Amino acid sequence: MNEDHQVTAEETAEGVVLSFEESIYPKDAVFGAAYTLLDRCFVHIDRDGTHLKVRLRVKPGLSIQTDLLAGEFESEALAQAWRREIIRENQSLIEGMTTRAVGGAAGPPGLDDLLDEDLGDLGDAFDDPLGIAVSWEEKYGKGETEASAASDDKAKGSEGGE
Amino acid sequence: MTELQFRKDLYASPAVAVAIEAFSSFADIERETRDDVEIVRLTAKEGEDEVALAGELANYVLGATVDGVASEEAAS
Repeated sequence: MNEDHQVTAEETAEGVVLSFEESIYPKDAVFGAAYTLLDRCFVHIDRDGTHLKVRLRVKPGLSIQTDLLAGEFESEALAQAWRREIIRENQSLIEGMTTRAVGGAAGPPGLDDLLDEDLGDLGDAFDDPLGIAVSWEEKYGKGETEASAASDDKAKGSEGGE
Repeated sequence: MTELQFRKDLYASPAVAVAIEAFSSFADIERETRDDVEIVRLTAKEGEDEVALAGELANYVLGATVDGVASEEAAS
């Protein structure tokens, strides 16, 4: 067995011992791979320097070749390590999409949320320096409005009579 | 008697406690905690397969470590 190898397998009387270089195969990846084999074999993990040693022993009553078991474990450990690497590389993207999804599920923003929102350069877009956005009642008063409305009605009536 | 050793930097210590509790009706189990390792000594009760029990207990500790079940129980 060469210690320089990233993965080595050694058959024993009881089963097989796999050795993983921890810098390539993190602890979580090896444990994740072990988890998938718990129904078929007894698994024990130990550490030897920079290597994680995995002892696999087939459960009684099952006839599984140890080399197949070792191969399956190695493949699963590689898949687990690669999956964790992908997650690490795309962490910010995943978090961004999750935030958007959760934000969308919360429904449209309320009036208070909109008022509190920072509009940036659009902050002065709703200013009204010329007073255009003043309502009719506010500009002319209620009494004048009724008077002008009555005179309008009268004018319409006289137009209709002609 | 069968002795199992679980390194503390690999296995969660609460997972060992949970496993011992789960298997206590099938075997007499002692636990010894050292600086870097948890040692579990197991003697199967009559009619039980000690080798199989030890293997299953080790699997249980591993599963509980991965699941984080042990840490949840410790928190509650």
